Amino acid sequence: MTQTTSAPTYYTRRLVYYVKELWRRREFIWFLAMGNFKARNASTALGLFWWVLNPLLLSLVYWFVFGFIFPSERDIIYLMSGMFAFHFTAQSLTGGANAVLQNSKLLTNLKFPRLILPLANLIEALVGFGVSLGVLLVVQLIVPPHFFPTSKHLLLIVAIVPLHFVFNLGLGSITARLAVPFRDINNFIPYLNRVWLYMSPIIWPLSMLTTERGENFAPYAEANPLFSLISVYRAALIGDPFDIAMLVRFAILAGIVGIVGVGLFVRYEGKIARHL
Amino acid sequence: MSQPSIVVEDLYVRFRPYVERKPTLRRTIGRRRSPEEVIALNHVSFTVNRGEAFGVIGRNGAGKSTLLRCVAGTLRPNGGKAVVHGKTSTLLQLGVGFIPELTGRRNVYLGGLAAGLRKHEVDERFDEIVEYAELEDAIDRPMKTYSAGMFSRLAFSVALNLDPDVLLLDEILAVGDASFKEKSMQAMRDLLDKAGTILFVSHSLASVKEFCDRAIWLERGEIAAHGPSAEVVKAYRKSVAKQNAKG
Repeated sequence: MTQTTSAPTYYTRRLVYYVKELWRRREFIWFLAMGNFKARNASTALGLFWWVLNPLLLSLVYWFVFGFIFPSERDIIYLMSGMFAFHFTAQSLTGGANAVLQNSKLLTNLKFPRLILPLANLIEALVGFGVSLGVLLVVQLIVPPHFFPTSKHLLLIVAIVPLHFVFNLGLGSITARLAVPFRDINNFIPYLNRVWLYMSPIIWPLSMLTTERGENFAPYAEANPLFSLISVYRAALIGDPFDIAMLVRFAILAGIVGIVGVGLFVRYEGKIARHL
Repeated sequence: MSQPSIVVEDLYVRFRPYVERKPTLRRTIGRRRSPEEVIALNHVSFTVNRGEAFGVIGRNGAGKSTLLRCVAGTLRPNGGKAVVHGKTSTLLQLGVGFIPELTGRRNVYLGGLAAGLRKHEVDERFDEIVEYAELEDAIDRPMKTYSAGMFSRLAFSVALNLDPDVLLLDEILAVGDASFKEKSMQAMRDLLDKAGTILFVSHSLASVKEFCDRAIWLERGEIAAHGPSAEVVKAYRKSVAKQNAKG
């Protein structure tokens, strides 16, 4: 109840308490995530489908642009797999920033671990992501080469999705943390997402990284955390060759981003109410 | 001697005006922070005992809501502390955690879970909540189709059925029609009889006088009067009358 001392042991005890509180509130997190999911989709005619439609239409646009206007070897499956994975991260950036601001009424009235808000938002995005993976599977049944995942691929999905979740939680917590004192962030995130989209191997093929003149852009491209992420997803979703180094690299990154992001948010959360 | 239920000790809260002006990037980088501070609560102390209804009155901006938010634990004070013994239910605003696009049923769960109940605990209380709110079949309609009265009744019913030990209320007795108002007063009396505690912030001096045992009058973050509610209300009325006569 009281919050005065700050001895080191107190921090660990508080951390344990915090995690316990989060776990005790798991039903609330789930109801909040699903409630927002339904509410957001209740007012539009296509409702739920927009979760899938947004990245799907974006993929189609780029497929059209690069498939017909500038012909190249990219196919729709390559585009979609990267786009869906990217969309999940992009959603958590925007959603994290909104999660705290849009729930100011909850924040000023009730006491609960504030991490619930970005967490619920992320779970909402995860459900949408899950649905979009289902759509990808259906598209693959129609479009050659008719790739169908085996148990090996499913295992890879089971490994990468939780890591992706932790990575996104870290990012979403950071934007949630920043959006409270700096509301400007909300205007900035769409541009960040756009630049990140172009920097990631989504609409351009990996073969573009090396030019005929012997230039090699691969080191720059690989500095992007989404590079390893999308490479693992492509191995899992469309049967690209799998490189364990990519998975390990992303796992380490996800751990760092997750801990730093959540840490920044939790340390700040006592001050949130003052800014609303 | 009854046990204390809410202990507020030397509570001190200050806001910096720049914080209230929603600092943007420009303002923060620009370093044009105003050094002045607004002291919302200046070393406020009081104790509320179990089974007691305690009123807080005062003008707008006197620090009443800040006080409630500290007691509710949503605002961390700059100094001092507010300790609550027992399960707290807060009614600082109506319909906290509700999502208007969803049905009343769904919102009962959201509101209950937001307040800290587990799902099975909401299950147990569900019928009672709906019956008490007098909603009947409307419970399965989206809440945005509700009238203001229906909305408030459901919100109030959820808060009361949390079985709190301590209820924090901010200015919401003006809920629903006359008969529902009587029902909610009765529900609060029942809570008091069960040795529950109510901290009640209101501008309605008549209901503070009628309902609360003791009260404080806050004036610019400080306690101007503290004692039996009838006396505190009287002193406050006098001050308001005097100020009106002057102005």
